[in-house]
Amino acid sequence: MADTITFSEEVSNLLYATEGEPLKTCIQCGTCSGTCPVAGYMDHTPRQIIALINQGRKEEVLNSNTYWYCASCYHCTVRCPQEINISELMYALKRYSIWKHQHKEGLVGPTFSEAFVKMIIRTGRSFEPILAPSYIFSFNLREFLLEVQNATELLLKGRLPILPARIKRMDNFKRMLGRIIPMGGLE
Amino acid sequence: MNKRLLIIDDDPDFVSGIKAILDSANYEVEVAYNPKDGFQALQSKHFDLLLLDIMMGRGAEGIMIARKLRKDAKLRELPVLIITGIREQIAFLFPGEPVHPRFVEIDELVEKPVEPKMLLEKVETLIQAAEAKKVKK
Repeated sequence: MADTITFSEEVSNLLYATEGEPLKTCIQCGTCSGTCPVAGYMDHTPRQIIALINQGRKEEVLNSNTYWYCASCYHCTVRCPQEINISELMYALKRYSIWKHQHKEGLVGPTFSEAFVKMIIRTGRSFEPILAPSYIFSFNLREFLLEVQNATELLLKGRLPILPARIKRMDNFKRMLGRIIPMGGLE
Repeated sequence: MNKRLLIIDDDPDFVSGIKAILDSANYEVEVAYNPKDGFQALQSKHFDLLLLDIMMGRGAEGIMIARKLRKDAKLRELPVLIITGIREQIAFLFPGEPVHPRFVEIDELVEKPVEPKMLLEKVETLIQAAEAKKVKK
């Protein structure tokens, strides 16, 4: 057994249970990048990310915003001629960067995810007014005011609750979550 | 005969660190970098202790391994040392005190980063506890 493993193998280990071919089979055809609806906002396109991983350029991969911009539309995965599960790769990189605290500064994704998961665990439901602060301050004034206006209108129409709703049988739900994520007091 | 240990952890830097510590204490150490290889190794070879990480692969895969171990008649007796940075990794899930749920019959939880001296002590006590239990039976 080799002493240590490369970054590319580390990523494959994150993906070990995924259906589809490993990254090594990538032929760099660029279909994923051409298909991606958010590729224009990414530092590196999905094709470049796969190439960087295969070359073991860990720093560049982790410092890119690519995987946090992924909208999980799965179009790349569907069209990949080598059947690489690229969306799953983006999720794997998100996990990896959160576990290692190595993602790019100033991204909405990590804070948003944390706020979202916390909220679901606490109440079982999504509640927008708590989620909003994780991204709203990155907006400029005009966007900010538009968002506020939008929220006010929703509120007046009764489409946005003022207080967070709780689901019924919260205990059951918490126990269910405990099977998936090791929260305090598992079994 | 030297005791045989298996490490299942996906972080190569951390693994090389604890492997060096354990090697220096004359343990025979094997490493698996993903849960699948790890479980296969457990089934095909004999080990005296398992050092298990929690957050691997798709999420809390370490816990899946612990559950499988508990169901396996042969592997149920294997002592497990859980080494995890889970509180740091998903800190928001632990609102208060450190929690140590029992994963298998004989287990112990150590949080990353690990003190070499403490690691060796825990390894020693776990192996002894498992042997004492075997003798009793």
